[in-house]
Amino acid sequence: MFEHTLSLMIFLPIAAGLILLLTPAGKGIARVTGIAISMAALILGVDVFTKFKPVGELQFTEFIPWFPHVGINYSLGVDGISLFILLAASVLLPLVFLLFTTKEKGYYANLLIVQGAMAGAVCAADIILFYIFWEIMLLPVFFMLGLYGGEKKIAATLKITIYTIAGSLLMLAAIIYLGVAYHSQFGEWNFAISKLTQLDLNGGVATLAFIGFMIAFAIKIPLFPFHTWLPDAYTEAPTATTFVLSAIMAKIGVYAVIRMVVPVFDEDFARFALLLSLSGVFGMMYCGIAAIAQNDIKRMFAFSSASHMGIIALGVFTCNVQGLTGSVYQIIAHATSTGVLFLFAGIIEDRMQTRKIEALGGIAYHAPVFALYFAIALLASVGLPGTSGFIGEFLIILGAVKFSPFIGILAGTTLIIGVCYMLWMFQRVFFEKDNELTVTFKDLTLKEGICFLPVVLLIIVMGLYPQPFIEKIEPAAQIQLAHLADTQHVQVADSVNAQDHGHLLELNK
Amino acid sequence: MENSATYLMYIPLFPLLGAVIIGLMHVFTCKRPIFEKFYGIIACIGPILSFVLALRVFFNLKGMPEEGRYLIQKAFTWFQVGDLDVAMGFLADPLSSLMLLFVTFIGSLIHIYSIGYMGGEKNYAKFFAYLNLFLGSMLVLVLGDSPVVMFVGWEGVGLCSYLLISFYTTETENVIAGNKAFIVNRIGDLGFVLGMSFLFWAIGAHGFDYMALKANAHHLAPGVALTVCLLLFVGATGKSAQIPLYVWLPDAMAGPTPVSALIHAATMVTAGVYMVARFSFIYAHVPVAGSIVAWVGILTALLAAIFGMFQDDIKKVLAYSTVSQLGYMFAGVGVAAYSAGIFHVFTHAFFKALLFLGAGAVIYAMHHQQNIWKMGGLKKKMPITYYTMVIGALALAGCPFFSGFFSKDEILFMALANGHWGIWLVGVAVAGMTAYYTFRMIFVVFHGEPRDQHAYDHAHEAPLVMTLPLIILAVGALFAGYLNLPAIFGGDQEVTHWLAPVVVEHHPHVSKFVELLAMCASIVAFIIGIRLAWQRFGKGAEEPTFSGFTEFAYHKFYVDELYDSVFVQPYKRIGGAIRNAIEPNVTDAPIKLVSQLYMMVGQAFKVFQVGFVRVYAIYMIVGLSVMSLILSFSLN
Repeated sequence: MFEHTLSLMIFLPIAAGLILLLTPAGKGIARVTGIAISMAALILGVDVFTKFKPVGELQFTEFIPWFPHVGINYSLGVDGISLFILLAASVLLPLVFLLFTTKEKGYYANLLIVQGAMAGAVCAADIILFYIFWEIMLLPVFFMLGLYGGEKKIAATLKITIYTIAGSLLMLAAIIYLGVAYHSQFGEWNFAISKLTQLDLNGGVATLAFIGFMIAFAIKIPLFPFHTWLPDAYTEAPTATTFVLSAIMAKIGVYAVIRMVVPVFDEDFARFALLLSLSGVFGMMYCGIAAIAQNDIKRMFAFSSASHMGIIALGVFTCNVQGLTGSVYQIIAHATSTGVLFLFAGIIEDRMQTRKIEALGGIAYHAPVFALYFAIALLASVGLPGTSGFIGEFLIILGAVKFSPFIGILAGTTLIIGVCYMLWMFQRVFFEKDNELTVTFKDLTLKEGICFLPVVLLIIVMGLYPQPFIEKIEPAAQIQLAHLADTQHVQVADSVNAQDHGHLLELNK
Repeated sequence: MENSATYLMYIPLFPLLGAVIIGLMHVFTCKRPIFEKFYGIIACIGPILSFVLALRVFFNLKGMPEEGRYLIQKAFTWFQVGDLDVAMGFLADPLSSLMLLFVTFIGSLIHIYSIGYMGGEKNYAKFFAYLNLFLGSMLVLVLGDSPVVMFVGWEGVGLCSYLLISFYTTETENVIAGNKAFIVNRIGDLGFVLGMSFLFWAIGAHGFDYMALKANAHHLAPGVALTVCLLLFVGATGKSAQIPLYVWLPDAMAGPTPVSALIHAATMVTAGVYMVARFSFIYAHVPVAGSIVAWVGILTALLAAIFGMFQDDIKKVLAYSTVSQLGYMFAGVGVAAYSAGIFHVFTHAFFKALLFLGAGAVIYAMHHQQNIWKMGGLKKKMPITYYTMVIGALALAGCPFFSGFFSKDEILFMALANGHWGIWLVGVAVAGMTAYYTFRMIFVVFHGEPRDQHAYDHAHEAPLVMTLPLIILAVGALFAGYLNLPAIFGGDQEVTHWLAPVVVEHHPHVSKFVELLAMCASIVAFIIGIRLAWQRFGKGAEEPTFSGFTEFAYHKFYVDELYDSVFVQPYKRIGGAIRNAIEPNVTDAPIKLVSQLYMMVGQAFKVFQVGFVRVYAIYMIVGLSVMSLILSFSLN
């Protein structure tokens, strides 16, 4: 549509958010601005998606020299992996602006800034630019959680702050190390991600940098045992913030691993893949089992979300194209299922003034449309074939079996663990007998029904006809994995050489 | 291409469309119901159209040469990643066309029956939407041309099973029964998914549909083949209620009776048998896996028959009977008698659907009373139901010349002929027990004196819309066996020949004497069983009390309680422990440590911040002198 579509997607929301904050605009204006800007971003996002060609390279690239003497540039682009997070962010955010209205001006402004910064983080092709957007993206979350959160918002904010700041520091140190390493190997400064992948990194310091990166992203995803900020933050944050955190921001952690850690630290990644995949699969099981004991519906979804993120991360660690493609597919599937479930939990909370599972019951009799929507999102979340959740989950399990049959079997238990807590919750919230509280439950209004309809349809369309999405992901996944394959070939070649060398030694004797 | 058929996808599509239409109409009108009467009729259209198409498939296939007898439709590429290429494809071959025929036929009949049975129910439309959805999923399962597409139907029927078991959602126990079915099935599905994954990485790179897999099956290493077979069988034990995952099926009787007839007797629960027959090209080369399948099957048959002898709920008797008969089917496919196993699936669908629908008519007449010890003497009041049910019972019990006799005998004979003596022996014993528990139910319900006079007075024969399907099914239960008449009765084993191009089996040559011996043993077992039942219950009997072993069996060996205390409770307890102990104390420890560390450092420095200028002056002097000392040293 325009030459600078990506820049527009980034800076339109950020600028609007800042203007709202700095001018004495009222709540009404803020909301209208939010709707308008997010709609514009939606149109731009769909435009990018339809014009995107199924090849692996970066597209819609933009390049403006920024600090050329130290190799830092304003450079953007999307590939098949970032495309889906960009799409999720632009498709889902209008929902939030349209449906959740009772908050203050600053809330809308912060949401807009988050939206722009998230787009920036996934489009950045320069690692410094990525870091800047990453930090901008986190700030509004602190405000939204700390200002507009629930009862224990201060504790939750403190927790998420400590974790994220620690992660950011480690990442910054690792980025600086990468720049220095590039300078020493190639004699010039450059922070373009595509250039950094050419680095030949080995040795203890490189591994430390790898660990730094991984911890930063493991906190964001979150991977076990870095998940403890999540239940508190997701539970205490206002609905829209939880939605943004779970549906999109957590995915940026996975994206960063795919885009930066896999190609740049290929050797270390291959070496640590088993450990990382164990962490993913154990986190899935641990959080899934923890979910069954929760009696707050939102907190249950928080654990459920963490459980799914373990599986999504696992797909990346399987180091094969099925697993990686499955992960990227699951990123958007999870956004439309668990993400939307958080919105539904918000609707229940708005209407019932409680999130306690045992206080609810029989909602299905009074709100059949809501129950239907909820059930479809729930079934996608447990990976039922015919919904978007199945494709990704199946590909990840398939990839995990290839990676290690043992991990594959453990990963498969997600099929069982998911239904246990979900069905039991659905039973106690939607079925059984209604009570004097739930008889007053009003079904979705026409507006709500229409707003959620595209998402619910997307769940089914992505389950029945995923190929148009998959064909955009796969080439990019192949490119990311090509680095790993090279590494493994080199390792094999090295060991062959070593053997030859050994033979030579024997001959010499 | 002569083998392509573009109409295959409409077979599942018709019922699925019906489900969507009825479902949407229900959602939009459930507050103010209109057209309530028409939903049942709309719901019957899809299944009947599918049945017509199934007939067309059958006759198309029949007109083809035997070796190229299949129709295929690849509707679109479903997903393709690397070597994995899955099409939304449908395959009709002799095996799936046989399944198609009886699934659509019995499905249509049960839809018609449901118009009567569910009449006046509050969620009439919802029921039919689910029923249509089920039938569509079942047809996807049957027609799927690759394991992945089959899995779509596989999980789809599981979902519908859940929805229909917990159909009366206001009662907690119904919902729990539904959850149990879904979760136990999911345990099986884990096996299915892993089996598919192992199969793919072994031979799936050159195509993951059945045609390609069959062509490449000889590349499978024996160890991998065994793993795949056992994992797939785990899936089958879940869906088809075999040891150790059979526990959900008896509880599934919480759903409306037509559901029990269609889903939990005739069609869905036989999917596991179908799957093993589908993969016969692998199973046939792994005799160890076959033996395991056969033994699990026959032991399940035995266990369920024991439980069936002591049940007092009419539907539970039939439920355990279904588990037991499914065990026979697995024994059949396990001893590589795939056509015999599938033929039993076929005949069982008729007589078990008949028995369930008959039981439904009784329950309907008795105002939702299901306890057989509250019934009695209903023969006079409900003659059509009685006589059709007796036909079904005779078929189930294996009375000579009824359908169940031919199909069950074929399995037992094949077990014997293939050298599985143990399986044959257990099978004959179970045949006797089957006759006993079936006629125990018939005698207690229909013979003797009424045990509840009030209910008896109000009982009446069911309306035509319900009795007509009973009569049609009774005809099937009588004559379906003649489709596969063995040579000893002058028949030609039509079904076996029909299935021969698909399933990999060989027919051992055994003397007529062994065949006769096998048949006589079955007949003797049948006579003993029915005679015992007549002696105890034929002329009226009181509700028995149980002690010792019978009490143990009455409580189903306490398997449910065992599973609950070994799996369910610990699972919940671990969840609770994570929530109450691990999360606050262990995983939160580092972050608490960080904050405490900050506090401690702050406390430590607080000591120096005393607030007197003179103390700060001392700090300054000490600092400056240390600095100047360091400077002087370093400069030197």
